[in-house]
Amino acid sequence: MHELLLFASVPTHQHAELLQQLAGLTAMQPRHCFERRLIFKAYRKPGVANARVGASQDLQSGDLQRVNKMLNGGMFYTQVVGPVQSTDFADAGVTDAAANANPNPVNPDPDTDTKMDGMDSESSIPRSAYDFDQQSWQLEFRDIPEAGTRSAVTSRVMATAALPRGDIVPSMNAWGYSFVTEYLVEGDMFIHNDIVLNLHRVLHYPTTPGEENQPRHQMPTLQQMAPLEKSGSYVLQASMMVQDGSNQETMKTASQHLFGLREQLKSAVRLEMADRLSLDTRVK
Amino acid sequence: MPVTGVYFIPAHPNASTALGNITERLRSSFPDEDLIQLGRWTLEQKLMRDTPGLLPTSSGPNQRPSKPRYMQFLSLSHYHNHGFIYTSEPTEKPFHPHNAASPSPAATPATPGLQGAGAGAGVGAGAGAATTGSVNDSTTSNISPMLMTTVPHSSYSTLFQHFTYACQPFWCHRLTVVVQNGVFYDIGDFRVRLGDVRQTYPTNRVRGAVVEIEWRGPSVIDSLDGAVTSDVNGETDSGVDVSLSALEESDVDAEFAATALLIREFWVRVGVEGAREAILVPGVGSEVKERLVKIKGAKNTGGGLSGPTEDDPNPQAGTDVARQYMEVLRFNR
Repeated sequence: MHELLLFASVPTHQHAELLQQLAGLTAMQPRHCFERRLIFKAYRKPGVANARVGASQDLQSGDLQRVNKMLNGGMFYTQVVGPVQSTDFADAGVTDAAANANPNPVNPDPDTDTKMDGMDSESSIPRSAYDFDQQSWQLEFRDIPEAGTRSAVTSRVMATAALPRGDIVPSMNAWGYSFVTEYLVEGDMFIHNDIVLNLHRVLHYPTTPGEENQPRHQMPTLQQMAPLEKSGSYVLQASMMVQDGSNQETMKTASQHLFGLREQLKSAVRLEMADRLSLDTRVK
Repeated sequence: MPVTGVYFIPAHPNASTALGNITERLRSSFPDEDLIQLGRWTLEQKLMRDTPGLLPTSSGPNQRPSKPRYMQFLSLSHYHNHGFIYTSEPTEKPFHPHNAASPSPAATPATPGLQGAGAGAGVGAGAGAATTGSVNDSTTSNISPMLMTTVPHSSYSTLFQHFTYACQPFWCHRLTVVVQNGVFYDIGDFRVRLGDVRQTYPTNRVRGAVVEIEWRGPSVIDSLDGAVTSDVNGETDSGVDVSLSALEESDVDAEFAATALLIREFWVRVGVEGAREAILVPGVGSEVKERLVKIKGAKNTGGGLSGPTEDDPNPQAGTDVARQYMEVLRFNR
C-alpha cells in the first residue's frame, strides 16, 4: 500500500480557527484522539552484518550472492501505535473539551497541581483505569518517501497490521525489533472525501526513571505531558491511501485530489510536501 | 482446547504421498466405524529463517555455528479468527544504544507491584496478548525456544509482507507449504484430519502427508470451558470451583501425557510407518495453562474475567495444535 501526504505547520494562535474551518469544510465535528506511539528499531546481531564472503570466488553460488544482498538490505524503524482515551490518563477528570480549551498543558491549573502533590505521597504514579494488558496495538510501517517523484506530494510505501493486545515487546523482540522510546500524539481527525486530515502535535512523557526501556504500563496525567514543539504549534497532515502504488493512474488521481484540497485550504494554510529526509525511517 | 497430535509422513518429491494408504488403513483398522467425510480443511505455512544463518559457516568470520532461528506463519481453517506466528526467541538481548544502563526495578517504588500483577494474574488477562514463552523445552529440539503470537487474520499476510519487505537482513522467506484439500473424519472419540502437504514456494513439489488426531473424549481440560462460561454468567457452580482450584499445571501436563498415550495407541493401530510425531512438543499445553491462570487470577483478584473482545473471542485458541504443526513442518530445505 502507498500513502500520499501533504503537510502544513499551524501556529498555536491559528489552531482553534483552523479547527472550525476544517469542521466547516468536512461537515463533521473534529474527532479528538490520542495515540501512544512506540518506536521500535530493527536490530541484528552486531558483527554479523560484516560477514562478507571474501572476493566471492565461488561464483556458482548465486544463492550466496542473494543472501549477501539481503544481509545488506535496508533496516527500518517502525512504530507500534495504540489508541488511548482521555479517560486513560491518570486524572480522568480531563475531558476532551477541557483538553481542547487548554492548548497549553505545560501550565496546569493550580488546583490539579495540589491534588497531584497529595497523590504523590501515596504513590509516585497517579492511578487511572488504564489497563495496559488490554491496550490494542497496530504495527505501522512507513518507508522513506520515494525519491525523484516529479509530483509535489510525499509518497511512501506503508503497511499497517493489527497486533495482539497487551505487552507487545516480547513478540517484537523475537521478530527483530527492539524498543527505543515512545511518545504521544494528540490531535483531531477529519475525513474529507477520500482524504484523512489530522491536526496533531507530539507530546512527550514526563521522565520516570526505570521506564525508558519498556512501554509505560500506566499513563501520566495529561497535564504532565509536554509538547515536543515548545511553541505549542500543530501539524496538519492530509493523507490518502492507495492500495496499488504501482498503478500510475490511481496515484495520479490521488495526488490530484490532494492538490484540490490544497487549493481549497489555500487561504488558511499552505499544504506542501515534506522534506524527504525528515521522514527517513531507515536504520543507519 | 482439545488435546491433539500431529503426524507427518514425508514423501519423495515426485512420488505420491501416503494419504491414500492412510485412508485405506483407517478403513481397515476401524471396520466398525463409518468413515464419513465431515468437511474440508486447509492449512498454509510460511517458513522464514534468519538471513545471517544462511551463510556457509566456513565463510563467516566467527566460526562458532549459531543456532538457526525461525519465524513460522501458520493459518488453519479450523481456527479462522487468527493466524499464528511462531518465532525463535532472540538469542541475545536487544541492543540499546541510548539506554545502556539497565533499568533498576527498585528505582520506581510503584512499578514492581504493577509488574508483579502483570506477570501473575495478568498473564492471561490480556485477551489479545498471546505471547507465551515456552520454557521447559530442552528435551528434543536443538533450536532455541520459540514464542507464539497470534494476530488477527487481516494482519497475518500484511505482517508477512512486512517482514519480507523491510526485514531482509534478518528474515528470509524459505518455503511455503499448503494443505489445500484436507478432509476430516470422526472415528470413535477421535477426530482425524488428513491432507496432502504441497510446497508452493520456491518450487512446486510434494512434501508428504499430514495427519492431525484430536481427542474428543472426556477430558479434565474441557471443564475449563464450562468454568469460563459459568463465570461469565455469574452462575458459578461450586462443584466446578473445587475441581478447578485443585487443578494445577502438573495436572494439565499429566492430562496431556495420558491423552498422548491414547493418540499414540490410535496411531499404532492405524499402523503407518515412517511418520514424524508431534504431540508433546515444547510449550504444548500452555494454551490450557494460560486459561487456567486466567480463571484463577479472576477468582483471586475478585475481578471479572476479561470478556471476549469483539475482534477475536479467544486469541489463544489453537496455539497448542499450531505448535505441533509447526514442529513437524519446520523443514530445513
